[in-house]
Parts: sequence; C-alpha cells; structure tokens
Amino acid sequence: MSVKKRIDRTLRKGLIITGVFCWLVLALSAVAGTDQKKIGDVSDGSLAVPVHLIGLLDGEGDKISPGVEPVLPFSMRQTCSDCHSYEIISRGWHFNAVDVNAVPGRKGQPWIFVDSGTCTQIPLSYRPWPGVFHPAKLGISSFKFTHLFGRHMPGGGVGELDSDDPDDLVRQDVSGKLEINCMSCHSAAPGQDQAEYAGQVARQNFRWAAAAACEFASVKGAAVTQPDTYDPLMDDAIATTYRENTFDHEKKVLFDIVRKAPNERCYFCHSNLDVGKSGSEKWTADEDVHLAAGLTCVDCHRNGLDHNITRGYEGEDLASKNPLAASATCEGCHTEGRLGAPVPQHPGIPPVHFEKLTCTACHSGPWPEQMTYRGKTSRAHALGTHNSNESADALPHIMYPVFAQQADDRIAPHKLIWPAFWATLKEQKVTPIDLNLAKRAVGRNLARAKPRSFGDWPTLTEEHITKALQSLKKTVEGEPVYICGGKLYGLDESGQLRGPQEHPAAQPYLWPIAHNVRPAAQSLGVRRCEDCHSTDGPFFFGEVEIDSPLAAEQVAAKKMVEFQGIAPFYAWAFAFSFVFRPWLKVVALGSCGLIGVVLLLYGLKALACVVKTLVEGD
Amino acid sequence: MFRTLSIIAFLVCFAGIAACCIASPCKGCGWRPGQILRRLIHLFTMLFVEQRLSLVGVLRKLVYLLALLCFVVLAVTGFGPRLCLNETISGYWLMLHATFAPIFAICLAVLAVMWASHCRFTGSDWPWLQRLIRRVIGAKTVGEKTACENSGLGQKITFWLIVVIALLLILSIISSMFPFFGTHWQELLLDTHRYSALFLALAVIVHTYLIIRAQMNK
Repeated sequence: MSVKKRIDRTLRKGLIITGVFCWLVLALSAVAGTDQKKIGDVSDGSLAVPVHLIGLLDGEGDKISPGVEPVLPFSMRQTCSDCHSYEIISRGWHFNAVDVNAVPGRKGQPWIFVDSGTCTQIPLSYRPWPGVFHPAKLGISSFKFTHLFGRHMPGGGVGELDSDDPDDLVRQDVSGKLEINCMSCHSAAPGQDQAEYAGQVARQNFRWAAAAACEFASVKGAAVTQPDTYDPLMDDAIATTYRENTFDHEKKVLFDIVRKAPNERCYFCHSNLDVGKSGSEKWTADEDVHLAAGLTCVDCHRNGLDHNITRGYEGEDLASKNPLAASATCEGCHTEGRLGAPVPQHPGIPPVHFEKLTCTACHSGPWPEQMTYRGKTSRAHALGTHNSNESADALPHIMYPVFAQQADDRIAPHKLIWPAFWATLKEQKVTPIDLNLAKRAVGRNLARAKPRSFGDWPTLTEEHITKALQSLKKTVEGEPVYICGGKLYGLDESGQLRGPQEHPAAQPYLWPIAHNVRPAAQSLGVRRCEDCHSTDGPFFFGEVEIDSPLAAEQVAAKKMVEFQGIAPFYAWAFAFSFVFRPWLKVVALGSCGLIGVVLLLYGLKALACVVKTLVEGD
Repeated sequence: MFRTLSIIAFLVCFAGIAACCIASPCKGCGWRPGQILRRLIHLFTMLFVEQRLSLVGVLRKLVYLLALLCFVVLAVTGFGPRLCLNETISGYWLMLHATFAPIFAICLAVLAVMWASHCRFTGSDWPWLQRLIRRVIGAKTVGEKTACENSGLGQKITFWLIVVIALLLILSIISSMFPFFGTHWQELLLDTHRYSALFLALAVIVHTYLIIRAQMNK
C-alpha cells in the first residue's frame, strides 16, 4: 500500500470520527436545549399572578424602543419565549392540529368552508377525524387556510407553517406568519380586541395581528394589497403605532396577563347561538349551569405548560397525556363532589341509561323539540367579527341537537352539517374537486340560480346540477358528482342527471356537544319516562332537517332514531309499551298485594298453630 | 358472577333431579322404548284438563298451565341473553319479558289464593318437629303418628318458597320503576331481581318435577 493511500485512509477515518463527534455534540445540545426549563415554565407555588412588565421584541428578536424607526410589531414568539418555552406550548391542543403525531381524540367541530356561489359547505380539518376533509384535498394551502380561518385561531399551528403552495410563499414573506397570540387567551385587558385580530387576519397582516389586537398598539394598512416585493423593514405601508405612555423609562411594557383565561376570552372562539330560539338576544338565554354557579371555563378545561388542555369527554385519558383528563369529566366531579358539584341520585332512572347514554344526552344543549334547531358558532359563522352575517339563514347551516350514536356506541347530543360539494367519483371513492376549479367550471351555471336570502343557498334545480356536472365533465378526470342533502348526484350515460344515490361521503358530519349544561331540574326524563319514551318524543322521533340547496330537498327530514343505530320499529314499539307501563305497575302491585295477604293470612294461621301447640304444652 | 352461579345452580338442580329419577324411579318407569314412549304420552296428557274436575279445579289447572307457559317465556328471555350471550336483557327480549311478566304475576297471585289451602302444612308433615317441640316443652305426645302420610311435603315447601320469592321478585322490579331509589339502590334492586329470579326458577323446576312425579305415581 502506498504512503498516499495510507494518508488518505487516515484522513477519511479522521473525518468520519470528527463528523460523528460533531453530530453527537449537536444532538446532546439539542436534547439539553429542549429539557431546559425557563423561568416561567415552572411555578414556585405562589398563587399570585406575576406582573408582566417586559420589553417588547420584534420578529428578529431585537428590542423595540419608542421613537426608533422602523416601528415594528412585537413578536409573541420572541417576547414571551424569554421566560416561557414556546416550542412546548406550541404542541398544545389549540395549536397541534397540523401535527401528524398529535392524537386527534374524539371528533370535534371542524372548520367549515362555505361558498354559496358554488353551493359548497364542507367540513375541513387537519385532524384525521372521520368525515372531515383535509384542506389540501380542496386545494387550500396552509396560507389560504390561515387567511380563511385564522380569525378564530389563537395563532400557531397552521399559521406558522411554510405554505405548501409556492405562490403563497412569496405572499407569506409579505404577511409574515401567524404566531401564537398568547394574549388571545391570557389577556385580562379590556382593550384586548379579538375582532381587530380577525380583521388583521382578513387583511393578511399575520405578522401584525397580535400587536393590533392588544390595547396599546394599532396597525394601519393591509398586506393583502401590498406587492410581492413589499419589505416591512423598508416600507411603512403597514404601520404600527404604540400608544403614548406604553413604554416606561426602561422601555418596558405592562401586559395585563392572567394565568387562568377569563371566560370572555374563550367566548370569542367558542360562542354558540340558537337561531330561532333565542336569536341573537343573549339576555333571553340561560347560560351554562356551571358558569351560573360561578365556575369558569378553565376550572374544567385545564392544562399545564404543554397547553394540552382537557376537552372533558369520558375516555379522553386514553388519548391525552394530561393527568387530569380522567377526572376532568362530568363523572370526575359529580361522583366525588369536587368543587361543590352535587352528587346525582338519579331516582327512578334504570342504570342501563348510563351505559347507553352520555351525561350530556339528558343534561346538555337545548331541550329537544319536534324539529332540530339551527345553530351558529363563532368559528363557523365568524361571530364577534366586524363583518359577520347576522342573518338567521347565513351558511353554514348547523342543526342541533341531534341525538346520535357516537364512537363509543353511546348516544350523545350532536351538532350536524350536511356536506355539499363537487367531487369526482372513481371506483366508488369520492374526491372533492379543487375549489378554484369547481368555481371556474360550475360558477357560471349556478349564477343563474335564484338567490334566497343573503348568505343562504341559492335555490338549485336539477337542471342547474345537470349543466354544472356537464361542464365539470369536460375539465376533470373521473365521473363528476355533486353531493348535497345526504345524496350523491351524477350523470348517466346519456349525460342526464340520474336519481340520487346514497354514499358514505354524502353522510352528514356530526360532532358531540357538551354545553350549555342544564341543571338536574331541567334534564330530560325529570318529568317522566315519556320525556323520551313516547311514540312522538323528539329524542327518538324528532326530525333532523336535511339541508340542501336543491329545491326538491328543502323540506326533507330524517328521524332522530336513524342516527342512533336502533331499528326504528323497535324504538317505536318500545316507546309504545310505555302506554301500558301504568297498567303494568297496577297489575304487579295488585298481585303483590294479593300474595302478601295470602302470606299474612297463612302466616298468622301458622302462628296460631304454634301458639296452640305451646298452650297444649302448658 | 351471576352467570357462573346461575349455570352451576341449574346444573346442580337438573343433576339432582336426574339422580332422583335414577335412584327412586316412578311406578312403571323403565328404559325400554315402549316405556319411554308411554311415559312421554303420560306427561303430555298431564297438560289436558280432566273432565272430572270442578269449575274451580279447571280454573286452577288452566291458571297453572298459563303460569308455566309464562315462566318458560320469562326464564328464556331473562336468563337466555345472560347465560348464552353474557349480555343484559334488552331489545325485543326485554319487551317480551315485560309483556309476560304481569300475566305471570297475576297467575301467581291466583295460584297463591287457590292452592294455599291445599299446601298448608299439617301435623303429619312434621312429625319429627312435633315430637321435638313436645319434648322441649315437656308435653305428652298424643296421636302417635310416626310416619309421613304422603303429605307432599316437597311440593308444599316449594310452593311457599315460590310465593315468597315471587313477592320479592315482583316488588324488586316494580319499586325500581318509581322515582324513589337512586342509582345505587337501583342496582341493588336489579341484583335482588336477578337472584330472586334464579331461586324462583329453581323452586319452580323442583316444584314441577315433584308434581309430575306425584302424578305419575298415582
């Protein structure tokens, strides 16, 4: 072996060893970095809230000083992560939908994309819940998703992803990323304005949204109107202004922060409205019994530093690492009397009810009536924002309460939407069509449909659907279909609309509800068994409105029992048997009385016999 | 627990009856095909209402047969799902059970009224007990009856057992239908219903066996 080769080999070995050593050092430092606790990560035990008088840092981590140009918005990531582990917090429930490793848990409320122009209403989520669609399947990039729904997000998650659409990456440089806005939940300042935050998101001012929403800053301008070359460091078209006296002499700012998020912060994203029952008149509706009793949302929905908040459903402990997941449920408090929770007696309720029903079935949501109500939610209807449509008919149309069987086979009250979208059908598999493509192909055909009210479906006819499908056939691969009202519509070989078909993709999406909780005195079954077990009781035989833009389907409904995994005849027969329940009681008690009399009579005779024998002995 | 206990109890009961049949066969019992056929026909004829019976006797027999039919339906619907499928009674089983239950209750009450007199314990049922009591209290023994005069003691005991357990059985389920008892008590009442049903079933089986045996020995 030549000397040169030996030198080469020695050098190569040296390089490999050095490489491995460097990798080890880096890996160890990374591990040490993630384990490192910051001052705000661990409580010292004091129940007092620390005063947050801190310096503001911009997106680059530079301190913001009053009067120094350019005036930039503060970055929550930079400002808060001095004391709190942002990376750990960002894996919490409110931010981890895009994390493929996050356990999705029980089905929850999806984001609902609505476009009345294409008659589309479709549930979306990054969580793999059955029945929802991944936004990418409809051509919605993470950037567009943030633009659409970031208004009711506390930032982080999808808002911090690099967009999967190259065109959006340029726009993302302009708008910045939607970092976690800690103040969305933890601000106690009356000036914290989430409606302004939503407005900023609508203008694609992601970088500025948190600052604009807080009480001491304001933002002018819109990223959405800026060119791709816009640089916030060079151009003040989007200008941040900090109010006078915001900074103290050390250039610090006072954040009014609380550890326990106030209810009003939760309400911005988690409000519900009974359309048609109480309308938007809040004063006519009763609030949740827990809140009326003085509890707050976070008394039950708790989390630690990891922000892995308890959702509060039974069985959550199987999916969640939160140590309180097992006990932060209805049963968790009400069997032990925690926080003063009354321990229920349930007199006269057969225990089988607790196997077949969730607690919420009898205690949550509005009292059911013959037809489901329509409801609105903050996230679906942009409630609380400056441009929300207050019409009762505004899309999406959410029906509730629907008493349906959930994954654990128990019946629980749900909210429901009927998906409506354009798709292709290949080997019985339905794939939604890219929204832009659908808009181009069917928009013109549907524009002729007669509008109903503002924000509602236009009235579609079968002719509209036929023409739209014929247009789509020219542009998409596979068989174009339209799904609405629980049915699938397609064209036959002659190009005419064939009869509607059942398809799993056309099934409604349901998610369980837990609030508002009614007290025991207003729970189902409190009056008598016939609250539910009657042949026209809404629990089994109430009607669930089928929502569809198709004119012919607008008065259709399904019986509640069809969602419960119970044969309708059985449910009816069982309910009918309750007509005879009083007779059964009378007959049984009468028989008992007669048997009792016989036993008493012959018992006394036996006693007399014994006494006689004893007397004979004397 | 209940399922295991029930299976054991039924096995022991049927084994006991089989042992009794083998150890002390009825008159004319044998294992030749002709004898087996004759015995089956005899058993079947027991279901018929005899012409010599009075109106009350006919009524009593009809009620007894109806009660037996209800018992079979209730036992199948009540124990069937639990013993065969290890499930609690529900669905159509429950509806059938609840339909036959009140008829069974009425039949039991009527039978209690009609048969109680026949099933009264007499001195001849307990000669040894009488002797014991007299010995304890020091009384003179009168009317020396030493042997049981075919009093049907087993039938009487099982009859009164059936009556007492039936009362418990009916009360336990009916009281759970009123809003008096909370979940804990409801579960207790259901357990009471289950176990009293088991004891009642055993008592009915033994009682029926003793009646058939007595009839065949006639």
